[in-house]
Amino acid sequence: MSALLEVRDLRKHFPVRGGLLRRVVAQVKAVDGVSFTLEAGRTLGLVGESGCGKSTLGRAILRLQRPTGGQVLLEGRDLATLPPAELIAMRREMQIIFQDPFASLSPRRTVAQIIREPLDVHGIGTPEERARRVLELLDVVGMRAAVQDRYPHEFSGGQRQRIGIARALALNPKLIVADEPVSALDVSVRSQVLNLIAKLQRERGIAFLFISHDLSVVRHVSDQVGVMYLGKLVELAPTHELFTNPRHPYTEALLSAVPVPDPRRKAKRIVLAGDVPSPMNPPPGCPFHTRCPKALPYCSQAVPQPVDVGSPGRPHSVACHLYT
Amino acid sequence: MNAPAASAVDANGAPAASRRETLWHKALWKLRRDRAGMAGLAVVMLYFLAAIGVWLGWWATGWAEVAGGKWEAPSAAHWFGTNLIGQDIFARSVYSISTAFEVGLVVAVLATLLGGVLGALAGFFAGRFTDELVVWLMGVLDSIPFYLLVAAIAFAMAGNPYAMHVAMISTFWITTARLVRGEVIKLRQLEFVEAAHAIGVPEYTIVFRHILPNTLHILLVQSTITFVAAIKSEVILSFLGLGVKDGMSWGLMIAESTIEVLAGFFGNFLAASLLMFGLVMAFNFLSDALQDALDPRQVS
Amino acid sequence: MSAPLLSVRDLVIEFTTEQGVVRAVDGISFDVFPNETVGLVGESGCGKTVTGLSILGLVPRPPGRIAGGRIEFEGRDLVGLDESELRAIRGRDIAMIFQEPMTALNPVFTVGSQMTDVLRRYKGLSRRQARAAAIELLARVGIPAPDRRVDEYPHQLSGGMRQRVVIAMALSCDPKLIVADEPTTALDVTTQAQVLEQLVRLQEEFRMAMILVTHDLGVIAEACDRAMVMYCGRIVEQAPIEELFARPRHPYSAGLLASIPARVDDERRELPVIPGMVPDLLHLPPGCRFADRCGRRLARCDVEQPGLAPAGESRVACFNPVETPR
Repeated sequence: MSALLEVRDLRKHFPVRGGLLRRVVAQVKAVDGVSFTLEAGRTLGLVGESGCGKSTLGRAILRLQRPTGGQVLLEGRDLATLPPAELIAMRREMQIIFQDPFASLSPRRTVAQIIREPLDVHGIGTPEERARRVLELLDVVGMRAAVQDRYPHEFSGGQRQRIGIARALALNPKLIVADEPVSALDVSVRSQVLNLIAKLQRERGIAFLFISHDLSVVRHVSDQVGVMYLGKLVELAPTHELFTNPRHPYTEALLSAVPVPDPRRKAKRIVLAGDVPSPMNPPPGCPFHTRCPKALPYCSQAVPQPVDVGSPGRPHSVACHLYT
Repeated sequence: MNAPAASAVDANGAPAASRRETLWHKALWKLRRDRAGMAGLAVVMLYFLAAIGVWLGWWATGWAEVAGGKWEAPSAAHWFGTNLIGQDIFARSVYSISTAFEVGLVVAVLATLLGGVLGALAGFFAGRFTDELVVWLMGVLDSIPFYLLVAAIAFAMAGNPYAMHVAMISTFWITTARLVRGEVIKLRQLEFVEAAHAIGVPEYTIVFRHILPNTLHILLVQSTITFVAAIKSEVILSFLGLGVKDGMSWGLMIAESTIEVLAGFFGNFLAASLLMFGLVMAFNFLSDALQDALDPRQVS
Repeated sequence: MSAPLLSVRDLVIEFTTEQGVVRAVDGISFDVFPNETVGLVGESGCGKTVTGLSILGLVPRPPGRIAGGRIEFEGRDLVGLDESELRAIRGRDIAMIFQEPMTALNPVFTVGSQMTDVLRRYKGLSRRQARAAAIELLARVGIPAPDRRVDEYPHQLSGGMRQRVVIAMALSCDPKLIVADEPTTALDVTTQAQVLEQLVRLQEEFRMAMILVTHDLGVIAEACDRAMVMYCGRIVEQAPIEELFARPRHPYSAGLLASIPARVDDERRELPVIPGMVPDLLHLPPGCRFADRCGRRLARCDVEQPGLAPAGESRVACFNPVETPR
């Protein structure tokens, strides 16, 4: 199967300016050399703690932020260098669902205006067809037609998230970046939205890049899971494999830290020392060596390259000196 | 998603309490319940009616005529008495309402427009050249003393009656622009603006369709504040001889009263200052109420 | 069992909104015993946070007010105490830990000066003693190099460190009861685990009781002895922690537990859901508040409100509770 999305050595650095002349004094390496592929209709989960660069990665892929380097190939075309006019046309193929259902909808526009805006922008169909399409999309996300004249503030978080999903679906995208789509929702509503996303994927063959800090949610929706730490993808494996056989010491610690909702199974916890270093001056060598319980002297000297430790047909890539 | 779940959400739709309403409806509803604000609005409307009447020539037409003797006491014919040369003070003070409204409206509308547009552009392009230029301009204009600027503009425009307006507009837009710029900087990183980018909406459409409508509450409140500031400045400038020349203004009446007060006659002074006080107070109440009603943090 | 430390009876908390008066908490009763950790769990708007605040007399007034009931701490009713009496209890006997550590710390003072303030006021320590005590507390909550950290400002600390400082401040007067409102929610997964473990350890060390308010059932399972599930301002189930997770009796508790992805086998894609959504507090149904979303609804549920009644080791407010075989 050919890849829908191929990300090669993607980098996004933010300059830090300082001093009187506002010269660039440092670089925050939010995303620093990330590569992966995503096949059509599959879901790649992306986990990591705040500041690891997972949201920036999502935005750099959609070119909501211009990458500093590397390539983003969507159906073979490099989004990173596409001129603006062609980029607008490519936006039909890729969409985003946001975390905060209160900030992601324009407060002074009706639900119908919000959902049809993508159709208006790209000049799809006649006005009547667009109006019909809005109703169709509302139905897909499980909302009544009557809500279309209402304003976002009249809805609960879960319903707003459905409206945001309808907007993302309007252009029939092939790829959706979902950035913490259920983090702001309550438990009972969260499973409704997760099931909706799963249904859309099943029925419409949309590929998802599912970004979340919540490992249990990622485990539930993803085919593959990538773990990020300080701008780097430290491990990438099929979901079941990653959760049952984590190889990178950071992944192990992360998995052991999740509170288990079962009082009889107290987790054996790997407690990490210290805090995540600042992405402004990440440690030399392996970014994780300062907190790694298994660190070797060599880890502070060279950056580990991803190696495949999986079985044939089930690639499992890990960037750690323990496996090189 | 399984069928019963979907239909249950459908059945509920939106919370039963919510009526179909925009944020504007909510603000209006809140404004209506604000007694001080509604009283302020009523008084402002009364003044406004008086001003319209003057413009249409319904009343106060004889403000320049000599209608009686010098310094007559209030009577049925001359409610506030007459001035030094026997002109009716009531007619003059009512006529001044139209002057105040003319200056207030022109300055408030134009300064708000200018401030809104420049502030929005600066905010959206924050950190880029457009922004630096607007910020520099604001700094420069702010550093010139107001009355010096008015005098300079009046001199440059060779006694043009609109010199006063130009001076006010060229300084009053700054506060509005600062506020709008700050709000736009905040708004442009919100997710709904990012969503518009993701859909492929062109940049200028984003500014006018998604960002500016969300600053309207600031513009509305600022325009009422600018209105009050313009009225007060008009009176002071007229008093100083830098403002109204061919018409009538409370400022001119107060200037006239400087001789009269020493002689124990307070007609001009009381009429002008009381009418001005009433209008400014009413406007302030209205503007406070608007601010409360429109604050998006309070409209949930 | 010993006498309860805190005893809440028929507590009603109302908020005045533009649309009318809302009962955020509607007649709840519970006890907290010395040295135990009680979880208060529920979704946003269920009244759990307001309940926590009311124990310290921190319900914002207006728009809120305690409209009925009693909150007895060591036999003394806290409802109706004036501000100065409450202040004497707050911090000394009952302390609170908030979700967002940055807002609980004053950004313009060092960690040390904020801590010594409290220590000097409540414990009458000298400046030097207070500083030593502050450093010791910081060490006890697991802050490395506490003698250095004590002179730093809040913004110099990471999120996890800040929350530890907040915990250290809460502990500074040896309170008998700590109310922790989502203490780990704002933290990252790995930090969350550390802070939670520390909190559980300190609760045992300091021999205090703790009320842990959270939406996260995982946190409840790890830290609590007992839990109360709230829905729409009422307690729907009260149970020892193992019992709650093994045999949830209220259909809402059962639904919540079932819909956690971590408890669902990852090969199965469809998550069980609780259909519909939480009713508007202004338009509550006359009967059970969960009836609309409940799969076990009886005719009686629409007309009558169930009260908490004993069921095995638990107490549940349901006419048709879930039966799970042992």
